[in-house]
Amino acid sequence: MSETFEPKIIAFVCTYCTYAGADLAGTSRLKYAPNVRIIRLPCTGRISPMFILKALQKGADGVLISGCHPGDCHFTHGNYHARRRWMVFRALLDFIGIPPERVKYSWISAAEGVKFAEFINSVTEDIRKLGPFEQYSQLIEQTQAPASL
Amino acid sequence: MSIEEQYRTRAKELLSGGAVKMVIGYGKGTTANRRRPLFISSPDEVERLVLDDVCITNLSGYLVSEGLLSDEKRVAVFLRPEGIRAINILAAESQLDADQIVIFGFDVNGNEVQALKGIHVEEFADVIGSIKEAAPEAAEEELFEKIEKMSPQERFSFWQEEFAKCIKCYACRQACPMCYCRRCIVDSNQPQWVNTSSHTLGNFEWNIVRAFHLSGRCVECGNCDRACPVNIPLRLINHRMAEEVLGAFDHFSGMSKTQEPVLASFKKDDSETFIL
Amino acid sequence: MTKILFSDKLDNCVERWKSGGFTIIGPVQRANISTYAAVEHAAELDFGLVLPDRSIKDLFFPQSEPMLRYTIKKESIDTNECLPPAGPRIIFGARPCDASGMSIDDPLFGWDYKDEYWFQRRNESVIITIACTKADDFCMCTSLKMAPDTTKGSDILLRPLAGNKGWQVEELTDRGREAFSAIADILQEGADTLAPLAVVEKKFDLDACVTWLQNPENFESRFWKEISMRCIGCASCTYLCPTCHCFDIQDEGDTYTGIRRKNWDSCSFALFTMHTSGHNPRSTQSARWRQRIMHKFNYFPGKFSVNSCSGCGRCSRQCPVDMGITETLQEISTLSL
Repeated sequence: MSETFEPKIIAFVCTYCTYAGADLAGTSRLKYAPNVRIIRLPCTGRISPMFILKALQKGADGVLISGCHPGDCHFTHGNYHARRRWMVFRALLDFIGIPPERVKYSWISAAEGVKFAEFINSVTEDIRKLGPFEQYSQLIEQTQAPASL
Repeated sequence: MSIEEQYRTRAKELLSGGAVKMVIGYGKGTTANRRRPLFISSPDEVERLVLDDVCITNLSGYLVSEGLLSDEKRVAVFLRPEGIRAINILAAESQLDADQIVIFGFDVNGNEVQALKGIHVEEFADVIGSIKEAAPEAAEEELFEKIEKMSPQERFSFWQEEFAKCIKCYACRQACPMCYCRRCIVDSNQPQWVNTSSHTLGNFEWNIVRAFHLSGRCVECGNCDRACPVNIPLRLINHRMAEEVLGAFDHFSGMSKTQEPVLASFKKDDSETFIL
Repeated sequence: MTKILFSDKLDNCVERWKSGGFTIIGPVQRANISTYAAVEHAAELDFGLVLPDRSIKDLFFPQSEPMLRYTIKKESIDTNECLPPAGPRIIFGARPCDASGMSIDDPLFGWDYKDEYWFQRRNESVIITIACTKADDFCMCTSLKMAPDTTKGSDILLRPLAGNKGWQVEELTDRGREAFSAIADILQEGADTLAPLAVVEKKFDLDACVTWLQNPENFESRFWKEISMRCIGCASCTYLCPTCHCFDIQDEGDTYTGIRRKNWDSCSFALFTMHTSGHNPRSTQSARWRQRIMHKFNYFPGKFSVNSCSGCGRCSRQCPVDMGITETLQEISTLSL
């Protein structure tokens, strides 16, 4: 009888909207899956694709990225830049064979505590169904192994 | 007069008159079908310049070599359309002053070399425009089509086999005109974002990051692909990114020297179908 | 009494050696490149290449080698040494210029301290070279005073027979003799017509070059700038070269654990000699190219009495801008006239 797979998910969120929304979810005592570790940044515009790659390299099975709705960015247009960046990065990951379903993007505002909790729950379930990212984990293991020949 | 002769004459005029301090072109290589970058500063040397269908390397990268253009003198350079687009991008990104570049434009159709009329980068707008128009219909390579049809796991396995060969020589980076960062991300070590080790994981990261940093900037000259000593089909990744920015943002790199870089600009109504 | 190994018996040898615990490695074509890799059957080996794109250096000095694992604890740091994978190997079908390259690096890796990673692999490997019957425009072994049938660094030299039937065996070292004693019954006694060796024209006068390089006045010559104008500063030449051996040591890990690795490095890289102060003694590509040539043909032989080049020509063959050792030395030969 195997244990249920508990995915490790890293979320990169902006301070002024999604993180505040997460706070609201907390103060409203909404339950959501504990699989997600949240990393707070000033703005989604700060999120570099390197963060996503590093999260996967360190063993994350899924990555979430979330920020203010377009038009509502605390810094006016950080999220517009982020949106373009994600579009391009998504196509890149897809072409390389890293399943796009493992990296999810959303807009969650400070008032959307419920949306946050629902988002975390549904994403955790999706990634749980996908299972561990074995192809990548094999590569990670290889870095720990001695040189092959 | 052949194009080679025409351009040699032109080079001689520019060098003797002092209009340019150097001509960067192609010279004979080690074997019959190799050409190499040639740098001549004296009118006596123009006979060393060759121009034929084997002159493929994109020479625009040499224009951002440290100090080359800092004396504000002009440099002439033999460029195919991709190279001219590269000048536009480098100018738009403030890496050079396009007025210092005198272009010896040419294109190759089959075995035939055709001259492209114009001296300064602005004069080639039509040529570049027509390449943009042709871009979506341009014949896709067989391998590219094959990869597009693969499942994610198959694609990952394909790239895993390719990136396992990578030896982190950075020939791709050095050969690319758009990779001009003095301190590349892979050279930063506080923190070390991209491993320098050539295990497959580190190789994935390096190639993904480079492709990302080139999105919307790559002119698909193929320098990276040809430079790779282990034959990784890098051009396919960059091609996919060029397709993406064209389809999503109607961005074709190198249209003009004032074109906004695609990832440094935005539209309020950019597509967001994938955002939950 | 000469011995012959017929090609159709090679698979029997492979089986015999494998059952004796050897891993068999040889030239193969894989994923659009030719290299040396482990094989299960003789049929996988490709003997038709002039030489594989990659050299056997990868088998003795890998691109990235873990050296030790560390764990940082409150009061101490625990370390665990990582040793190279153990196990004897037979490298069947190396090119003579690859084998000679390894023997050129032996004095370096055994110089001020003995590099266990190198020597463990060297001691566990039997190198069987096959003399060249084909060469291309980039081969230059003869310019380095070697030849398509150089025995330097080899344990057994095989001379191809005419008609691709097999090879005539030349045992060179005890290690080679031991490996071949295991297949003694598969070898045939006798002689057969040998295929003619490749003809490799001399491309430059090595002695004249070395004399020019050793002259201190030529260190500042304008020649260096002119010859290296097109060099883009990648490490293609360095990494494919059988004798290039520079490496960087990097710790890869996170806050509390990691692995210390030895990775290839190249003097062609702009940051190779960058000091933490920000000063870079070799800040121009011409200084770096000069260093490469001087090291290989002046400084290295000064210490180890052998040029750091085996004449394989990979540097020139692969260079994206058609540079390489050959052309530089050809130019120097003319300069020294």
